[in-house]
Amino acid sequence: MPELRTEEFQVNMGPHHPATHGVCRMILTMDGEKIVKIEPVIGYLHRALEKICENRTYAQCIPVTDRFEYVTAMSCNQVFAMAAERLAGIEVPERAEYLRVIMLELNRIASHLIFYGVTAMDLGALTPFLYGLREREAIIDLFEMTCGQRLTYNYIRVGGVAKDIPKEFIPKCHEAIDVITEKMSDYEGLLNENPIWLVRTKGIGVMPAKLGIDYGVSGPVLRASGVDYDIRRDDPYSIYDKFDWKPAVHQNGDCFDRYLIRLDEIKQSIKIIKQALEGLPEGDIKAKVSPNFKPPAGEVYARVENSRGELGIYIQSDGGKKPLRVKMRGGSYCQLQALPYFGTNCFIADLVAIFATLDIILPEVDR
Amino acid sequence: MLDGTGSMGVFKDIKNLLIGMRITGKHLGRHAITIQYPEEKWTMPERSRGVVVLLSDKETGELNCTGCMLCMRACPTAAIEIDAPRGEDKKRTLKVFNVDNALCCYCGLCEEACNFSALKMATMYEYSTPDKGDLFWDMKKLQEAGRDVPYEDKRKKKKAKPVEAAPTKEATPVKEDTQTGPPPPDDKASDTAEKEDEG
Repeated sequence: MPELRTEEFQVNMGPHHPATHGVCRMILTMDGEKIVKIEPVIGYLHRALEKICENRTYAQCIPVTDRFEYVTAMSCNQVFAMAAERLAGIEVPERAEYLRVIMLELNRIASHLIFYGVTAMDLGALTPFLYGLREREAIIDLFEMTCGQRLTYNYIRVGGVAKDIPKEFIPKCHEAIDVITEKMSDYEGLLNENPIWLVRTKGIGVMPAKLGIDYGVSGPVLRASGVDYDIRRDDPYSIYDKFDWKPAVHQNGDCFDRYLIRLDEIKQSIKIIKQALEGLPEGDIKAKVSPNFKPPAGEVYARVENSRGELGIYIQSDGGKKPLRVKMRGGSYCQLQALPYFGTNCFIADLVAIFATLDIILPEVDR
Repeated sequence: MLDGTGSMGVFKDIKNLLIGMRITGKHLGRHAITIQYPEEKWTMPERSRGVVVLLSDKETGELNCTGCMLCMRACPTAAIEIDAPRGEDKKRTLKVFNVDNALCCYCGLCEEACNFSALKMATMYEYSTPDKGDLFWDMKKLQEAGRDVPYEDKRKKKKAKPVEAAPTKEATPVKEDTQTGPPPPDDKASDTAEKEDEG
């Protein structure tokens, strides 16, 4: 009887694959049905955003940052504005800070609702997708009412925010977060105990905390591995230190915990929004900043916690009205570079679950 | 889990599947929240940023634009093209005002930069065309598009102030306008802004 020989072979996942949330190609080396090696190939969505920013004034850079990480464009606006403010020493009025926090947290909820829907859809459940996007619509309507756009907000400006909220915003915002609070039990009821969901996610793709830290992973993915680290609390920016909340932490680091932590974060965000709406002071919404202001020469790094981890912007200024160098740092990039080290030794279907629960967004990886 | 939990586990799994079905079952018989687009349309919010239009004076019907080029400088994608040469009396006359909608990124910075209520991002969003060239709108087309667009005139409010000691009710600026209020819209202001830019 001849000896049975097996050999490894390669499979391309993507670039156009519905489960890659954008355009990401992964070269998988397979041993039978098991994945032995993952090689992510990135750059299909590269738009040279950093270079574009270097040819724009600081005010003109804000719409560019909208395109950096479009699911939470508010936090991109915020981090760029924060960096420019630190560079030029601009004080932001208190009302503007409150409005920023409300918008950032609403945007975080919207992003996590997309995560909830899309992850479930990747694993074969269509209903959560419809539910998640339905509640997100209420939040997007709030943004559209305030700043006029549904995705590329361009709302947060250097020195404040672009426009004050309209009168009907506060009641509608209360209404929206009440609906989401009510629907949380639906979300949890659909998936938390669902046996199919549990088999697909529990114990799959465990990321050790050490590995995550080594590769710069941050945000919900790292907190799901048991690392209690949240920039909103540990390096407070804006007015986050005024609110009573605590970051959600889970211990196992598998796909299921990465899913649970997002639901917990929605609850925490609702808590912050309620406090911010209550304490919203009257006053100016924007400090006086010339559209062509020239910050002094120097360099600055500002970072915020967005729904995918640490989002940072480094700006180097030579004293001109345009930044000399802009570097953007996103959470998805670090998650993708850690993926080959804990995503192996599983089936392709499991890789879909791992990839989905990392909540990677490719425009941010490629920038 | 499906495996290794014994016969009781199966019942628990079935129960949990039924819980999910009950949640989806609650939506049976409810109306759809989607609308059939070409027949039904959203009413866009007032601040919605659609296509850029040029605004005309409500009384005279002439364009509000003075050709100060602040919007052109504010535009991050250089979608606006203005030619307004100075005449002998050093006043600008607007000759060319083009907007390339294919370049526009709908950020709204032009609207914010304008001190004369000369242009606005209207709520109109339906202007797709099979020919890319049709996205290039000249002054005439922009004025035509902005004919019926409601707007608050920033100029009149400011002009009314020095003349009348107590401004009328309509002229009282809305709260949000005082906060984001533009600098006084005289020609000097725009000229100095230009000089800053060029310097």
